[in-house]
Amino acid sequence: MDAATLNLLRDPAGVPFYPVVFQALYVLTFALHAAFVLLSLGSMGLSLFGATRQGRDPHWKILTPHLIQTGKLSVSILIVLGVAPLLFTQVIYDPNWYVTNALSGVWVFAFIYLLILGYLTYYWYYYANKKGSSSNVLVGTVSFLLLVFAGVLMHNFAVESIQPDQWMQWYAPQGVVDTSGTNFHIQPIRLAFLVSLAIPVVGIFLQNYSQFLSTRNDFSKEYLGFVSSMGTKFASIGLIISAVLYAFWTLEAGVLLHPLSLATVAGVVVLLLLAIKNSNSYITTGVLVVVALLISSVREYIKYQIMIDVGYNIYDYPMNIDWPSVIMFLLTFVFLGFTGVAFITTMAWNVGKTQGVFDAQNHTATRRLASVTLWILVAWCLFYFAWGMMVLFKNVLG
Amino acid sequence: MDHIGLFPLFYFPDIGSAWLMGITGTIHILASHTSVGAAMLFAFLAHKAYREDRPELYEYMKKYGMFLLIFSYVIGSITGPGIWYTATAASPRGISALIHNFVWVWATEWVFFVYEVIGVFALVYFIGKIDRKTHLKLTYTFALASVGTLMLIIGIISFMMWPGTDAFYVTGSASDAFFGLNTFPHMFLRIGFMIMMSGVIGMVISSALPDRELRFELTRKMGLVSMLGGFLTLFFFMWYISTLPESAEVLLDLYLPDIIATRIGLMVAFSLYFAVAVFVPRLINQPLASVMVAVVLVVGLWPGEKLRESLRKPYVAGRYIYSNQIISRDVPGKGIKSEVEQLAQVGFLGASPWIPDRLRTITPENRLEVGHLLTKRACSNCHSLEKGGKFRPLMDKVAGWDAATIKTFMQTSLATGAIPYMPKIALPEAEFDAMAAWIATQNH
Ligand code: HEC
Repeated sequence: MDAATLNLLRDPAGVPFYPVVFQALYVLTFALHAAFVLLSLGSMGLSLFGATRQGRDPHWKILTPHLIQTGKLSVSILIVLGVAPLLFTQVIYDPNWYVTNALSGVWVFAFIYLLILGYLTYYWYYYANKKGSSSNVLVGTVSFLLLVFAGVLMHNFAVESIQPDQWMQWYAPQGVVDTSGTNFHIQPIRLAFLVSLAIPVVGIFLQNYSQFLSTRNDFSKEYLGFVSSMGTKFASIGLIISAVLYAFWTLEAGVLLHPLSLATVAGVVVLLLLAIKNSNSYITTGVLVVVALLISSVREYIKYQIMIDVGYNIYDYPMNIDWPSVIMFLLTFVFLGFTGVAFITTMAWNVGKTQGVFDAQNHTATRRLASVTLWILVAWCLFYFAWGMMVLFKNVLG
Repeated sequence: MDHIGLFPLFYFPDIGSAWLMGITGTIHILASHTSVGAAMLFAFLAHKAYREDRPELYEYMKKYGMFLLIFSYVIGSITGPGIWYTATAASPRGISALIHNFVWVWATEWVFFVYEVIGVFALVYFIGKIDRKTHLKLTYTFALASVGTLMLIIGIISFMMWPGTDAFYVTGSASDAFFGLNTFPHMFLRIGFMIMMSGVIGMVISSALPDRELRFELTRKMGLVSMLGGFLTLFFFMWYISTLPESAEVLLDLYLPDIIATRIGLMVAFSLYFAVAVFVPRLINQPLASVMVAVVLVVGLWPGEKLRESLRKPYVAGRYIYSNQIISRDVPGKGIKSEVEQLAQVGFLGASPWIPDRLRTITPENRLEVGHLLTKRACSNCHSLEKGGKFRPLMDKVAGWDAATIKTFMQTSLATGAIPYMPKIALPEAEFDAMAAWIATQNH
């Protein structure tokens, strides 16, 4: 594709704010999304192993259902978090996004139903395991494979979108147009790297799990020690595998020596040391978040650079700033987003720490967060209607 | 350069890519409306349970909630982005227009969505694990956040129909696009339907409760809730219809005779069903309640969605982008220019960046191949091209016409924009020739 055409594929409406903001939001939300993808992949995979052990081994008997539950929650969260990066990328990378979707239209459609099927089967797995049914491993494996395949499809869309020089060839091989939307292309090393991260992520999760429950006296020291040392093993071996694959991937993409990439490597080394030491896994998790952001940035940088090389610069996208909606988002994001998520996570944290009923009325932080969230929502709705009426009065009567 | 910013085509035989989206959309409507409705219902039940100290209502909420997690949240949260995703493949420029106008609205909705999804897990799993007062507050915030997602998406889908005034075209402002004439009627229409669905699904759960007395009480309540919702739906539907553009009325006249009978049948059947739930709740059992959910989906929603897709014609969004991806008018507020005239001059062969070189010029050898490609480009967004296809099949519309008749039709009706529900499609004569020739080889 030549530069003129690529630029023509931008939306004539322009972007409603500075492109760099969308790019930053993309990097941030993709990292969050990926974290939960990896956690679900890791906990699901490990739960399948646990499901074969739990009959004989009392440790696995406790851990397996917890891993299944973790996987279940993570899938939900990864789905919501996954919507945001898709939204932000398509505002600035129109050619990449829309061309890819058309080239693989059938897969786009199939993706939705595979994901639904995979997730429904996962609930089946959850209930089968709860009931102690012997079909649990089989059902779990089917669900796992469906969800993994949905992930591979996502990977397919991502790598198609960064090969603009191939698009025409894929759309019309030998000059014969193919509108069936069945294109499917993967990059094995990149895929392997991203998938491999599930191992350290689940490792660090296990460390957190055991640290979190260590304050409760209904879990034995021995059990928590078992989980935590398994976590350390996964984290350290996993990080080494990922690091090797990372080197191959970035070498292939020609960014191995880019500062972002070097920073990632440094982050991984720190992560490795912290994980092996395992003195406070919450700090390790903090570093993990930083590394996730770095990997997300490297990924974005690769795309950005590919597009620059073919003459498409997101920073040149014509702008039509739309202040009211920008402000609405920022206020909602900051006030509702942070307070609301803080409310539920504080509550969840305390519920997890409490044996029996957690009385939030005696817990100032939770009680206040609950009220503030409620008031923000009420105020939000009032503003919405007031704003809507004003606009309508202006346009209909004015 | 003569090019227009068109994307590659994706076409799904027989059903058409637009209906692929419709299928996902219909499923989504069922799941999402149920979940918002249930969120409101939960607020009501939690309030009652708290005030009147009725622990058994928490049990009901927990059962209902578990069911919702699977039914609404798994299906609803995937099909939601799914519609938009499939639409991207089927109608890239339509979605792109919406995205570039409303990205911040969507991003705002996403914040609500995040709260809703983690909230529902907390709401269901923390019953009995946190004190009731905090749980009640959580339920209220959850209800508001759920309704918030509706309040945010409704302006966007209403804009797809039309903004209702000229303000948006002049200012290009998202709020002028968002708060159009039919935004509010559309919102209340859907709230009515959500309330109704929360009752309809509520009966699936209540009718299977082991405690007879509770079962009858809740089934009766769900019957009342459904009735209220059904009434609101009808009431606001009238208002909604009166805020539609004129071209929609033409289409409505065209389609109404076919659907009016089933609509009346549905109304009678559901009124009866709700009345039975209220007056003789013991007659409602789980199989019946589940069948009624399926009836809503297949007989109620699917035709309704098809109708909504049709009423928007010939546009796909904001009455400035045609379904076939061509921009139909200037939008000075955004600096957008109509492409219809340019297309008339250079044709799709000149305008589309996605024509392989060997097809750029029409020759006797490639004429049919080009005709096929052009027809796909110009018509397949609204008509399936296979004979006997399911989606407004083109070949059935032109059955028995020869190439000359087809060409005349295109030149006199389409090229002039004389048919209100079809785009103005003016193309160079050679392209019409090729299309007519190809269509004529297919239609008998
Ligand atoms: C924006 C959507 C849209 C596009 C694009 C479109 N049509 Fe239609 N067409 C319709 C609708 C709506 C009808 C009404 C009949 C129905 O719904 O079954 C219709 C009806 C027709 C009819 C029947 C005559 C009539 O007036 O009802 C013919 C013939 C036809 N279309 C040909 C074409 C051809 C040829 C193309 C491509 C060059 C095309 N249409 C593109 C929407 C469209």
